Amino acid sequence: MDEMVEFLHQGMLSLIKRWGTKWSIWPTHLVTACCGVELAHAFASGYDGERLGVLNFGMARQTNCIVVEGAITRKMARILKITYEQMPDPKFVIVMGVCGIKGGLFWNGYHMVKPYEVVPVKYFAPGCPPTPESLLRCFRALQDEITTGVGKNTISFQSSKPSGEVKKRKRPKRVPPSPKYIAKNPSVIVDVERVEKWEDGEEIRREIEEILGDLAESVKITGKNRISVRIGVENFFDAGLRLKESGFDHVKSVNIVDVPHEGKFIVEYVVSSYLNERYVSLLLTLISEIDRVDAHFPSMIEVWQSADYLERELHDLFGVWFDGNPGMGRNFLIAPDTPKNPLRKDFKIPQDVYVGGV
Amino acid sequence: MAESALFVLVEKILETLTSNMVSIPLIDPLIKMLMKIPAVNVIVAFVLWKPIFHVLILPGLLGLTLVLLFMIYFERKITARVQWRVGPKEVSRRTGGVIQALADGMRYLFQEVIVHRDAHGFYFLQFPLISFLPVLLPLLFIPAGSVWGIRSVYAIPIALALISLIPVFIIGMGWASNNKFAFIGSVREAFMYFAYEIPLLIAFLAMILLYQTADPFEIVERQSIPGILLNPLAFLAIFISILIATSRLPFDIPEADQEVAFGPYVEYSGIVFGLVMSLPYEKLYLLSLLSVILFFGGWKGPEIPLLGDLAPVLWIFIKAVIFMCVVALARSIYARYRLDQTLKMSWSVLITLSFASLLLSAGWLAWLGL
Ligand code: SF4
Repeated sequence: MDEMVEFLHQGMLSLIKRWGTKWSIWPTHLVTACCGVELAHAFASGYDGERLGVLNFGMARQTNCIVVEGAITRKMARILKITYEQMPDPKFVIVMGVCGIKGGLFWNGYHMVKPYEVVPVKYFAPGCPPTPESLLRCFRALQDEITTGVGKNTISFQSSKPSGEVKKRKRPKRVPPSPKYIAKNPSVIVDVERVEKWEDGEEIRREIEEILGDLAESVKITGKNRISVRIGVENFFDAGLRLKESGFDHVKSVNIVDVPHEGKFIVEYVVSSYLNERYVSLLLTLISEIDRVDAHFPSMIEVWQSADYLERELHDLFGVWFDGNPGMGRNFLIAPDTPKNPLRKDFKIPQDVYVGGV
Repeated sequence: MAESALFVLVEKILETLTSNMVSIPLIDPLIKMLMKIPAVNVIVAFVLWKPIFHVLILPGLLGLTLVLLFMIYFERKITARVQWRVGPKEVSRRTGGVIQALADGMRYLFQEVIVHRDAHGFYFLQFPLISFLPVLLPLLFIPAGSVWGIRSVYAIPIALALISLIPVFIIGMGWASNNKFAFIGSVREAFMYFAYEIPLLIAFLAMILLYQTADPFEIVERQSIPGILLNPLAFLAIFISILIATSRLPFDIPEADQEVAFGPYVEYSGIVFGLVMSLPYEKLYLLSLLSVILFFGGWKGPEIPLLGDLAPVLWIFIKAVIFMCVVALARSIYARYRLDQTLKMSWSVLITLSFASLLLSAGWLAWLGL
C-alpha cells in the first residue's frame, strides 16, 4: 500500500496527477466574514478566476481547496476544521485578509482564532479586504507550487540601507498601549442632565414622575426625546409594571456598564412604546446599580418579553444573573470553550503583540 | 496438434471479423499493412469489426468520452460567455482551454475516494459502476448507417426502456449514501422520473406512429422531410422532457447544489464522483442520438467517398453534438424551477403537448390515407 502511495507521489503518473491538480483547484465556499465579497468579485466578470481553472464550488466533499474568507471565530473554527476534514486529499488552504493572519480588526479579541492553528495554511493574501488580484495571485502561486514543489513568497519587500547621516529620533517610538487597560479613576456618569429645545419635554418628564411616584430616585432629561430614570434594584420590577400599564410596551435594549474600581455594574433598560402615541418617539432609560461581586438582578421578561434574549446575552458577556430568566447558567451566543465573562474590564486573555513588549 | 487447432480457430475468427469490417478508404493502405502482421491483424480486425467499432469507438465509448469532455467544457465556456467572462482558458492558451474537463477528470482520478462510515459501503461503490450498463446497452440498439450493434425492429422502444433504468440507479445511490440531502435528492429524482417519463414516451410513440415503424433504419429511410417539420409538437415535448430527464438547469432539481448539495451524489468524492456526475451527460447523449434519428434524418448527410462507412457515423455524431450544445445553452439562460412548479408543468402542459403530438401524427396518417 505504501509503495503505491509512494509511486503516486513520485512515479511517472505523478506528472499527470500534478498537472490535473494544478489546473483544477476548486475552492469550496466557506464565507466566514466580509472578505467573501471580494472573493465573489474575483470570480465575477471583472477578474474571472475561472480562467485559471479555479471553479467556485459549493460542497467540501468534491473539492480540494478552502479559501478562509477573513475572521475565524471560535465557533467557525470548529466548522472550518470539519469542512477541512471532509475534503479528499490532496487539499490546500488559502487565507484571505488580515483577520486570518493575526486577527486584524479584531486583534486580541476574546473570540478570535488564528486559522493557521486550526488547519495547515498554504498561502496568505493580506489586506482588509485583499484585492481580487491578490487572491488570484495566491492561486497562481499555489499552482506553481504544485508543479515545482517549492512554495515561494510572491511579494518581496525592498530593504534599503540609510545612506549618510540620519537624524536620530529623540525618543524611540513606543508601542501603543494595549487596548484593554483600566484607567485610574474614570467617573462613569450615565445620566448627565441636559437642557434641550424640546417643547413638551418638561411636561413628559413630570408625567413619568407621576407614573413612577416614589419608586424613582431621579427623573432627568438627558437629551431630546431622552429621559433617564434612576430606580433602586428592589423597586425595579414594580416600576416596570407601572410603566407597562401606562404604555411602554417593549424593551429596545439592555446594557451593562462595568465600573470595576467602584465595584458595581450599571444596568440600563431602554424602553419605549409602539402603541401610546405620546411616547412613540421617547426613549426612556431605566438605570440601576448592582454589586459587582454578587451580581443579581430581577429579570424583566415577565413585564417585557423582548428583554429575554438581551438578558441572556449579557449573562454570557458579563456573568450577571438575571433572576427569573430561564436561560441563566447556560451559554447563549458564545461558543462553549470561550472564557467566561469576556466583556468584564478586568478580563485577561493571553495577549498578542505586534512589536516590542507588552 | 493443439497448436494447429488453435491456428485454425484464429483463422476462423479472423475470417468472420474481416467479412464485416468498417471500410474507410482513407486509411485503407495502413490497414492492409497492419493486416499482414500476425497477432496485430486479429486486434485490428476485432476493433474494426462493425459491432465492436460501434460500441467501442464511434458512436460508442470513445465518442461518449469525447462528448463528455467537450460538453462539460462547452457548458462552462458558454455560461462564462453569457456572463461576460472568459471561462476556462489558461490550461491550454492556444485552444481556449478545451482540455479543461480533462484536467478536472485527471484531478478526480487521483483524488482520495472517501467512503464514509454511515454509507452502505457495498452498494455505495457498486451503483456508480453498474449504472454504466443502462448507458452502454442502449448504444447497441442505436445504429449509425451501416455500422450497428444489434439490429431489431423494436430498437427504439428497447433503447428507451433501457435508458429509463438510469434513474433507478441514481435513487439507489441516494439510498446507499445514507445522508439526508441524498434522501431528499432521491425523492426529488423519483418525483421527476414520473413527471417526464410519461410525456417522453408518448411523444416517442407519436413519432413511431407517424413512421409506422420502430426500426431506426426504416425511420431514417422514410424521412424525406426531417421529422421536426412533420411533428414539431412531438419535438417540443421531447426537448422539454430531455431537459428534465437529464437534470439540465431549469430543471436540475434533484441535484440543485445550492439547495440539497448535489442530492444523491453529495457523499461521492474522487473518481466515483466523476463517474456519477457524468451520468446525466451520458443520458443526454443517448437521448440526443435518438432524437437525431427521429427528427433530423439520422445519419443522412452528404456522401464523403474517402471516409466510406465512417461518414454516416460522423454525421449522426455531429448532429447529436450540435443538439446537445443547444440543450447546454439552456443552462446558462434559465433560472431553476421549484419542484412543485415542474411537477405541475409536466403533469399539465407537457402531457397535453405530448397527447396533441399523438393527435397530430394521427391526423397526418388520416390525411395521407395510410
Ligand atoms: S480582513 Fe477586513 S474585509 Fe477581511 S474579514 Fe477581516 S475585516 Fe473583513
